[in-house]
Amino acid sequence: METGSETHPANPNHNLNTLNNRNPSPSRNSIISGTSPVWPTIDGRLGLSEEESLSYARRFYKFGFAMLPWLWAVNCFYFWPVLRHSRSFPHIHRYVVRSAVGFSIFTALLSAWALTFAIGGDRLFGPVWHQLVMYNLAEKLGLTDGS
Amino acid sequence: MAQNQRPRSILESLGEEIIRIITPVSICMFMVVILVSVLNSNSSSSSSASVNSIATIAYTETSSDSSWDKFLGALLNSLVFVAVVTVVTFILVLLFYLRCTKFLKLYMGFSAFVVLGFMGGEIALFLIEDFSIPIDCITFMVVLFNFAVVGVLAVFMSKMAILVTQGYLVIIGMLVAYWFTLLPEWTTWVLLVALALYDLAAVLLPVGPLRLLVELAISRDEDIPALVYEARPVTYNDTGSMGGVAQRRVWRGRREENLNDDSNSNANGVFVDNVDSESDSLSNASAVLDSNSDSNTLDNATLVRAEEARVPERDAELSAPLIDHRMNIQPQQQEDAVSSESLMLEGIGLGSSGAIKLGLGDFIFYSVLVGRAAMYDFMTVYACYLAIIAGLGVTLMLLALYQKALPALPVSIALGVLFYLLTRFLLEVFVVECSLNLLMF
Repeated sequence: METGSETHPANPNHNLNTLNNRNPSPSRNSIISGTSPVWPTIDGRLGLSEEESLSYARRFYKFGFAMLPWLWAVNCFYFWPVLRHSRSFPHIHRYVVRSAVGFSIFTALLSAWALTFAIGGDRLFGPVWHQLVMYNLAEKLGLTDGS
Repeated sequence: MAQNQRPRSILESLGEEIIRIITPVSICMFMVVILVSVLNSNSSSSSSASVNSIATIAYTETSSDSSWDKFLGALLNSLVFVAVVTVVTFILVLLFYLRCTKFLKLYMGFSAFVVLGFMGGEIALFLIEDFSIPIDCITFMVVLFNFAVVGVLAVFMSKMAILVTQGYLVIIGMLVAYWFTLLPEWTTWVLLVALALYDLAAVLLPVGPLRLLVELAISRDEDIPALVYEARPVTYNDTGSMGGVAQRRVWRGRREENLNDDSNSNANGVFVDNVDSESDSLSNASAVLDSNSDSNTLDNATLVRAEEARVPERDAELSAPLIDHRMNIQPQQQEDAVSSESLMLEGIGLGSSGAIKLGLGDFIFYSVLVGRAAMYDFMTVYACYLAIIAGLGVTLMLLALYQKALPALPVSIALGVLFYLLTRFLLEVFVVECSLNLLMF
C-alpha cells in the first residue's frame, strides 16, 4: 500500500517489513535495511513533520539564548533522530547541533560554579559564602515560613 | 506488499492502553508519598505546618477541638471550597462559550508558571533546608527559571515532545497535591469526599458545568481548554499509509454513534479527539491554589474520556479498541464497520488513533489521598493505592461501557477513603496484634 505523501524526499519506502512497532518511538527503530527514518522528532509519527520541525528547532535554539540551557537540552532530546541521522535533515541538524553545543557549554560553566561553591565553602569564599547559600537566604527572606 | 502482522490479542492492546494511564498516576502518587514522608518526618508531624489558604478560610483546625467541632469545621471549609470551584468552573464555561481561548491559554500558562515556579521553588527550598544542600542562590534561580519556563512551554504548546509534556503534567500534579496535603487532616478528608460528590454532579447532571464544557467542546470540535493528561496513543501498524504526520487526535462526535449501533461489532470509535495542531489543544482550566492570596482556586478538570484506536485504512487494519467487550466478533464484520467508519473519517480527512485522557485534577486528588494516608503509616498507603487503582480500573470499564465523559474521582475516592478507614481502624490493630504475638508477619 500506499505511502501517501511522504514528507521526506530521500526516503524510499521504509514500510517493507512492518515491524509491528509497539514502542513509542518508532523512528528510532526504523533503521531497517539502511533506510533513514521519515520522522525528525522522537515521537515519530505523532510528532512534527519536517517543515514544522525546522521552524520548531530554530525557535527553540533562539529562545535558548534567554538563559535557558534546559530548552536546548529539550531541543536535542526532541530531535534526537536528527542527531543520529544527520545526513537526512541537514537544516534541522545545524540548529540541533548548535543547541547541543550551547547546552554543554552552559552546563559545564554552571556546574563548575556550583561545585566550586559547594565544595569550596567558606574556606574559599569567606563570609560571603554564608550570604549566598540558599538556605540562609531563604531564612532571611522568610520564603519558607508561613507559606 | 506483504505485511507481517503479529496478531495482537485484546489483552495486549487493552492492557497497553490501561498501563499507559496507570503508570503516570502511580508515579505521581509515589512522588507525593516520598515528598510527604521525607519532608514531614523532619518537622514534627501535623498541625504546626498548616497552610493558610482558601480551603481553611472558614475554620482553622487546632488539635484541641473535639472531633465533632473538627468535623463541622471541615465540612464548612469543604463547602466553601466546592462553592468556589463551582463558580470558577462556571466562569470557565462562560469564557469557553464566548470563545476566549486566547485568554484561557494565557491563564493556563500563567498558572503552570506559578505552580512550577513558586510552589516548586518552595518545595525545593524545603528540601534544601532539610538536607542542608549547599547550593547557592544564583544556580538555584537559574535552574528554577529554566524548569518553570520550559514547563510553561510544554504545557502551552501542543507539539512539544510527548514525554516532556507528560512529565511536566505529572510534576504539576505532584506539586499541587503536595500543597493540598498540608491542609489540616479532617479538612482534607472531608474535602476529598466533597470534591468527589461535586465531580459526580458536575459531569453527570445535565446542568453540571463540566458536562456543559464537554458538550460545547464536542459541538465545536475543539479541545477542552484544560490541563489534561493524554496518554500516548497505541499505534498498531504504523505503515506510511497514513501519509504525512499522523494527527494526534481525531475528534468524532456523537453523530457517529448511530452508525455504530447497528453493527454488532461495537468496536466503535468513540471519542477520538481533535485534530487541531497548535491552536487550542491544551488550554487550561485549572486555577491554582495560592496560599498567599485567596484569589484563586484549583479547578479540577476531571474528565475521563476514552478514545478509540480506530485506524481507518483502506486495508482495514485491526485496531482492537479499548472498549470492545463483546469480543467474539469475526474480523470480517469488524472490517465492515471499520470501512464504513473509515469513509467517514477519511471524509474529515483525518485518521489517527485516540488515547485515554485523564484530567489533572484526578491526578492531584488521588495523590492527595495517598499522601494523607502516608502521613499516618505506610500500611494505609498500600491499601489506598490499591483501592485507587481498582477505582480507576472500574472507571475505565464504565467508560468503555457508556462511552462518554465520566467523572474519574467518585469511585476511586470512595474506595480510597473506605480502605483508609478500614485499614487504620481495623487492619492495623489486627496486624499489630498478630505481630506482637508472633503469629504472622
